[in-house]
Amino acid sequence: MVSKKSKAVGLLLTTAMTMSLVSACGSSNDTSTAGNTSTDTKTNNETASNEGTETTGIDTSKKVELQFYMLGNAPKDLSKVEAEINKMALEDLNATVKFNYTTWTDWDQKYKLLLSTGQNVDLIFTADWTQYQQYAKKGAFLALDDLLPKAAPTLQAYVPQDMWDAVKIDGKIYTVPSTYKEYVTNGFVWREDLRKKYDLPTPVDMKTFEAYLEGIKQNEPKLQPVSFGPDILNSLVGTYLDVQRKNVGALPYGLYASYDKPSEMTSYWGSADQLADLKLFKSWVDKGYFSKNELNETESMQDKIANGTAAAILGDNPTRYNATASKMKSLHPDWELGYTPFGVTNGYATPVHPIHNGFAIPNSSKHADRALAFYEKLVTDKRYNLLTEYGIEGVNYTVEDGYYKMLGDANTNGFAREAMNGWAWRNPEFMLFEPSYDGVKAIFDELDKIQKPDIFTGFAEDYTEYQSERAALEQVVKQYLQPIVAGQVDDLEGQLQKFMDKANQAGLQKIQEAYKKQWLAYLSEKGIQ
Amino acid sequence: MLKKKGILRELYTNKILFFMLLPTMLYFFINNYLPMVGIYYAFVEFDFNKSLFHMNFVGLKNFEFLWKSGKLVELTLNTIGYNVVFILLGNVLSITVAILISEIKGKVFKKVTQSILFLPYFVSFVILSVIVFNLFNYEQGVLNSVLQQLGFDPVDVYSKPKLWIFFIIIFYLWKNFGYSMVIYLAAITGIGEDYYEAAKIDGANAFQRAWHITVPMLKNTFVILLLFALGSIMKGQFDLFYQMVGNNGLLYSTTDILDTYVYRSLRVTFDMGMATAAGVYQSLFGFTLIMVVNAIIRKINKDYALF
Repeated sequence: MVSKKSKAVGLLLTTAMTMSLVSACGSSNDTSTAGNTSTDTKTNNETASNEGTETTGIDTSKKVELQFYMLGNAPKDLSKVEAEINKMALEDLNATVKFNYTTWTDWDQKYKLLLSTGQNVDLIFTADWTQYQQYAKKGAFLALDDLLPKAAPTLQAYVPQDMWDAVKIDGKIYTVPSTYKEYVTNGFVWREDLRKKYDLPTPVDMKTFEAYLEGIKQNEPKLQPVSFGPDILNSLVGTYLDVQRKNVGALPYGLYASYDKPSEMTSYWGSADQLADLKLFKSWVDKGYFSKNELNETESMQDKIANGTAAAILGDNPTRYNATASKMKSLHPDWELGYTPFGVTNGYATPVHPIHNGFAIPNSSKHADRALAFYEKLVTDKRYNLLTEYGIEGVNYTVEDGYYKMLGDANTNGFAREAMNGWAWRNPEFMLFEPSYDGVKAIFDELDKIQKPDIFTGFAEDYTEYQSERAALEQVVKQYLQPIVAGQVDDLEGQLQKFMDKANQAGLQKIQEAYKKQWLAYLSEKGIQ
Repeated sequence: MLKKKGILRELYTNKILFFMLLPTMLYFFINNYLPMVGIYYAFVEFDFNKSLFHMNFVGLKNFEFLWKSGKLVELTLNTIGYNVVFILLGNVLSITVAILISEIKGKVFKKVTQSILFLPYFVSFVILSVIVFNLFNYEQGVLNSVLQQLGFDPVDVYSKPKLWIFFIIIFYLWKNFGYSMVIYLAAITGIGEDYYEAAKIDGANAFQRAWHITVPMLKNTFVILLLFALGSIMKGQFDLFYQMVGNNGLLYSTTDILDTYVYRSLRVTFDMGMATAAGVYQSLFGFTLIMVVNAIIRKINKDYALF
């Protein structure tokens, strides 16, 4: 009796737990299998049949559905816009398009899976921060060189030739770059109202920035002068190297080369320069400029400015500075935020590299020609472009004095400005801005006067031969270097030595040498001295 | 004759039952067995332009990164160590509390206590990390504010790795024990009143009743929960560790588990081979462990074994 009853309870439990197991597996599997089952049934060999014919233009006799993938969250009114787009696309190209969004949760994992599982994807967003260079190098995307004149001659002519050249990886074009010129270079951000109140110097270089921090610390002891967040290797070291040592780009593996002499690549890690910099950072922690526990900070740097818990950011880009400023203004109307682009300090600024925003066609696409033709419409046809960037005119937005005006507010409007994250298909000729964007435009105009090309982003690293060393090194950096940067250790020299020992054990030298070799080859290929 | 056609006959006589089983079997085959083909990814060099079985076979090269840093043993031990403590302490705590709650007589009070204890289970780990940060951060944390008010020196909790062993265990228990407690509570409700009445008549006090009736009756539930937990012993509580420790390398010596290690290594690369290799290592280890423990339990008492 006893065992029977307990057995029954046990059985019930087992069933319940198995059910939960099953449903848990189910939900995670659904996402991965859904794509496979939805594989287009209307498989046809258009590309193959097209290659035979010499004429320009593409065969649109068969109706197809294009799978379009973008990162981030889909806007509420996406289905309405999609329906409008499909009406036109059906007429123009005998195609319909399905706009898919990955959401920002684990987007990098999903992106990886979209490309590596052979799922049916016809158009996908690319950027330097989605590792376009590496994916292209490994053959994830279709080379567009031959397809462009045939499927999208207007687009080919519309994008300037030097941009097409800039996105080439190993001599081939794999993505359609955005032609909108912007700057994502960094600049000092600080609370202008506090600076005025205590008569502190305006940050224009490291010296004045430090003086500002000191002033804040003395006058507002409760306020954290500057914040960096957990990603301190970028937000502090990377930015510092950028403004103070004119680093050519965000070079990995502790390598360093100046913008003026890119071919002279040396190891920053273990150098006297690094030790000096670390001492400086440590002194900042000791003076209380930033928190001892920056690595565990849970609020973003921008939020801390907006809600008044920090007084400066070492470096942020103009667009984000503008967003932070308006967020802060909405919470505290009487506060002000100041900005000095690093271009003022260094005398040059690099406009965004064409790789920064683009769309590629994965190798697995079955309708590459139609996809490219559709993308041409998206960029160069005003109807398509306005619809996908700003929504439906009169419903989602209106144009007032040449400015974009949202109807309703962010909660009621189902399609905010650029809600489809259409950064890549922005067309400068059709673009509409909000009045608040004038500040950013003014910064861009300033930077235009001192612009120099970005020579780093075009480089595509191939780490196949050292990828296990690379993964091991990542661990060492996180475990040993990061705490030193964050000012958590007192014995700087000793800990730095320990970090270097561990890094060398993990294969730092092999990685650095291999990277340097590739870098020099890239420089000579592009003719950069 | 009958014996020879055993299986076929069995299939025939119980055809309805087998038919009802079919969807489940199909489900498991498609969702859990078919994808196992992907294990092969761990042994090839990934290539976008080839199908799985045409990629270059590279043997164990993808597993290299696991031991290249010399941390594999430490990580495995950390992962298992934490889980063993979680399982043991978690179960002891939830059984104790479940018994205490079941003894509460007031119905409203009982429900309220139960709900309050269950509540932390629904707190997201991200929120937990914010709570922890606000408790312990050096400059403005609650702990240091109190210490300074009392005239002590502030403590930098985030640079003391040993302390975190306790914090992680404490926060894990705080967050999770409510869940298993409810399961035990359900099991206790299933125990017949007559045992207790008989014991009462024989003069057993509340402790004796709990120790001699409730605890033995919960053994079965405990074993099942234990086996389920063991299966995932190599899969650490990723959210918990990742959110609480995050980027703080100083704490890794005591708080790094396989999951966080693999995550950190692979978020910089997109190599399918290495990611799969890590998964295969975890699964194989977990599989071996559950087989061994189940075999041991089977030896001791067949009724309690999972299969």
